[in-house]
Amino acid sequence: MSHCWGMAVDLDRCTGCGACVIACQAENNVPTVGEEAAQKSRTMHWIRIERYYEGEFPNPRVRFRPVLCQQCDNAPCEPVCPTYASYHTSEGLNGQVYNRCIGTRYCANACPYTVRTFNFFNPVWDKPLHLQLNPEVSVRQIGVMEKCTFCIQRIKASEIQAKAENRALREGEPVPACVQSCPPKALVFGDLNDPDSEVSRLARSPRGAKLLSELGTQPKITYLQRDSWDGPNS
Amino acid sequence: MERRDFLKFGVLTGATATLTACEKPVQQLVRFVPEEDFVPGVATWKPSLCTLCPAGCGVTVRIMDGEAEVVRNGQRGILKMGLAKKLEGNARHPVNRGKLCARGQAGLQVTYHPDRVSGPLKRSSSRGSGDFQEIGWPEALSEVVTKLAELRSQQQADSIRFVTGEMRGHRRELINQFLASLGAPAAVQFAPLDEPVLRRANVLAFGRAAMPSFDLERANYVISFGADFLGTWNSPVAQSIGYGEMRRGRPGNRGKFVQVEQRMSQTGANADEWVPSSPGSEGLLALGLAHVIVKEGLRSNPTEINSSREVEEKLKDETYSPTQIATRTGISANRIERLAREMAAHPPSIAVIGGTPLAQTNGLFNALAVNLLNMVLGSIGSPGGMFFAPGASTVKEASSANQSVDFVAQVLSGGLENAEVLFLDNTNPVFAMPPSWQVSQKMKRTPFIVSFGRFMDETSVLADLILPDHSPLESWLDDVPESGTSEAVFTLAAPAMRPLHNTRAMPDVLLEIAHSLGGSVSEALPWKTFEEMLQASYRELARAERCHPTDGFEKFWGRMLEQGGWWDGQCQIHSPESPALEFQAPEFVPPRFDGSEQEFPFYFQPYVAEAFLDGSLAHLPWMQELPDALSTVMWGSWLELNPKTAEKLQIQQGDLIQVRSRHGSLETPAVLNPAIAFDVVAMPMGQGHAQFGRYAAQRGANPMSVVAPLQVEQVGSLAWAATRVSLSRTGRKGRLSLASGALYEQEKELELR
Repeated sequence: MSHCWGMAVDLDRCTGCGACVIACQAENNVPTVGEEAAQKSRTMHWIRIERYYEGEFPNPRVRFRPVLCQQCDNAPCEPVCPTYASYHTSEGLNGQVYNRCIGTRYCANACPYTVRTFNFFNPVWDKPLHLQLNPEVSVRQIGVMEKCTFCIQRIKASEIQAKAENRALREGEPVPACVQSCPPKALVFGDLNDPDSEVSRLARSPRGAKLLSELGTQPKITYLQRDSWDGPNS
Repeated sequence: MERRDFLKFGVLTGATATLTACEKPVQQLVRFVPEEDFVPGVATWKPSLCTLCPAGCGVTVRIMDGEAEVVRNGQRGILKMGLAKKLEGNARHPVNRGKLCARGQAGLQVTYHPDRVSGPLKRSSSRGSGDFQEIGWPEALSEVVTKLAELRSQQQADSIRFVTGEMRGHRRELINQFLASLGAPAAVQFAPLDEPVLRRANVLAFGRAAMPSFDLERANYVISFGADFLGTWNSPVAQSIGYGEMRRGRPGNRGKFVQVEQRMSQTGANADEWVPSSPGSEGLLALGLAHVIVKEGLRSNPTEINSSREVEEKLKDETYSPTQIATRTGISANRIERLAREMAAHPPSIAVIGGTPLAQTNGLFNALAVNLLNMVLGSIGSPGGMFFAPGASTVKEASSANQSVDFVAQVLSGGLENAEVLFLDNTNPVFAMPPSWQVSQKMKRTPFIVSFGRFMDETSVLADLILPDHSPLESWLDDVPESGTSEAVFTLAAPAMRPLHNTRAMPDVLLEIAHSLGGSVSEALPWKTFEEMLQASYRELARAERCHPTDGFEKFWGRMLEQGGWWDGQCQIHSPESPALEFQAPEFVPPRFDGSEQEFPFYFQPYVAEAFLDGSLAHLPWMQELPDALSTVMWGSWLELNPKTAEKLQIQQGDLIQVRSRHGSLETPAVLNPAIAFDVVAMPMGQGHAQFGRYAAQRGANPMSVVAPLQVEQVGSLAWAATRVSLSRTGRKGRLSLASGALYEQEKELELR
């Protein structure tokens, strides 16, 4: 049976700490752009933590929301690509073929989640910072669109390993870098085709919701809403 | 090392031989994955230890083969070697259980930073000018040896000073043995975040100078007084793991979390209830809560102490009744009563204190009051409560003995000026102390300063000699985590990779100096390398502790290196070891603030920045570009103020504001924050470095430059939240890089909460 990779984000666990942001940056060779480009919103992070205030002093509230590619079943980024650089993989991911990308940025315009980042410049790692680069992930060049892959290199490595050992993938395998790092375990990753997986269980939660679901993009990430406290057994 | 592993750069005949020769005769098989064993593209994982904050998380390092440009014996070449590619939490480590925070993961960039000091340097013109020339290790070491020998012959060894940052395990042991053998005073620590106030309160209440641990996983109610325990404080990864479980790990039972603070922290943003009490009144609020619980007889699981009755009687006093303290705390009597009843009705409950309440002049009172609240709640040493990690190690006791307050005292009493030789390791007091203490001017008068700095920072730039240390990933490391675990833990790690530069491990340098001095000094430090010392010491430990290796020490040592340390899984949660519990109801001491309310209308609250901590991580580009959790600012510093306050002062987001106190002024852009009190302004620590590599230098402003030199009463540490400031517009816009421009979410998106 093929896999359908999905994620659950439990906003009741998420503390907004940013461990996922750096984990992703380290794993996927996501460059830093420097102050000037950051001022123009050209940072390259594949996952960000949105922060929203509610109310005012003395009763303010804050909501954190990690946002990454939602790996939509009905992805607006895919049909707009003239070179088929954005495509749907057999496992349901929104793939991005860097070699095909000619930088029209149509996909970024189409994406309602603004999770695609564009290389306005060639990435720079002041030597010897280039030694930190992960050899399993290609470095993207100027003019190329990039985005979260659900750590496809980790997925593939796990699948190859399982195949070599002649077994099926186990629960908790593979793990994208963001999920691996998350201290309060707000991020859960797994196979949505397996009804018994943790991620499937969470996706069925009554607290579950999809980001901008009214657009009909059918994301594979379920957000579990933050709870409130009304007593010990709420 | 095979000849084929060394690819030449230019004409370097015979370079392989010199490269091999300059390496110390070490056990290659243990220290590194041998190059021959690398399969291109296949990763190996090696345990290590995160040294970036005091939590002491266990790390695993992903190592893959690569080619690095290295310097060996003054020659540059390309070496094929195992390179660290990623840091993750060590899944078996009891503190962080496979998880690692953003800062810990960025520790990789310490090793690969382009501005590391790549070899020994000697000052070449006036002090502080930043002009250095490269010299060789033999010359550099002989300068130090000559100086020390001279002082010893003149019976002046007591004028040697050694200042370290947060330093644990055997590094600290070695420094102190080295100093003792010279006849010099013990090293003093200067680490701005070493929590001297809370330690003092814990000594007074529990007889332990340690930081507390919390069993959040089993707690039903948590009230935190200013502690950013999910972000930067104490053992944030361990606490975040526990927090996740408290919220969703027990089906049908979601614990409540209340945060008391004036400026919403990343931790406070997760609270169910946010209580903005007035600055410095946190302890009073804690006593008010305790008053209600005691008076209404709500104690369900009281911690029995000798003086219980006496303390209870005192707590029942009307001075602490909610109506009496409502004005002072700014929290209504009804709310105090409700909170007290709630936390008493939902045990186990925990009270935590950290951050600004401890940085007020009455910080010790605040800490003691919260300790007392914990006693009243019955949370000390019980499941779902607070406890102390088993203090199994003799190493640890030594390291918590002298804290930053000793260094503050030295600076203020002129002890620094009397120094003939000053050693600096991993500490930056010039950056972290208020300018009015004049630490830089005082240091300039010290005749001879040696720094082991990996980077040129504001303090190292004053040195005569820089003997750069290896990066943590290139070093032998050990540690006993002080909190965040209920088990006895010794973390131990071999170097994960070979050194990139012409650096030497500081402990090895000290040993070398000792051996060159000869005589009694050399005899006191018989080990050839730090690794030997660690082995000898852990051999002792293996005998003393419950970890008797049945299959011999060599196997035990091997297992330690393979899993990243030793921990005792059977060891259950320990209550305070010597339950002296000398509780007294502390007398309320009002906080003092520098500056009059008329001239300086705002409380100035610096806070520990998520990305930079006290500023020691501002040099890492990943950290500079990590949007701050609340303000979403990158690559700069900023001042947070309430939108209403801003409106009154006609300040808009991004306006460059002048912040002025009685002791200095700074300029920084304004960021509007609806979650800060009207009379409070807040600013992150960590930016405003004059030196510290290309990513940090000349960026933003350092809040310390306006902080008044007030000290925490009865402790002596800097009361960094006790300054009042005034604000004025400069008429210019500041440089502000925001990841998100909006404070509030658009209506349409609100359906997702």
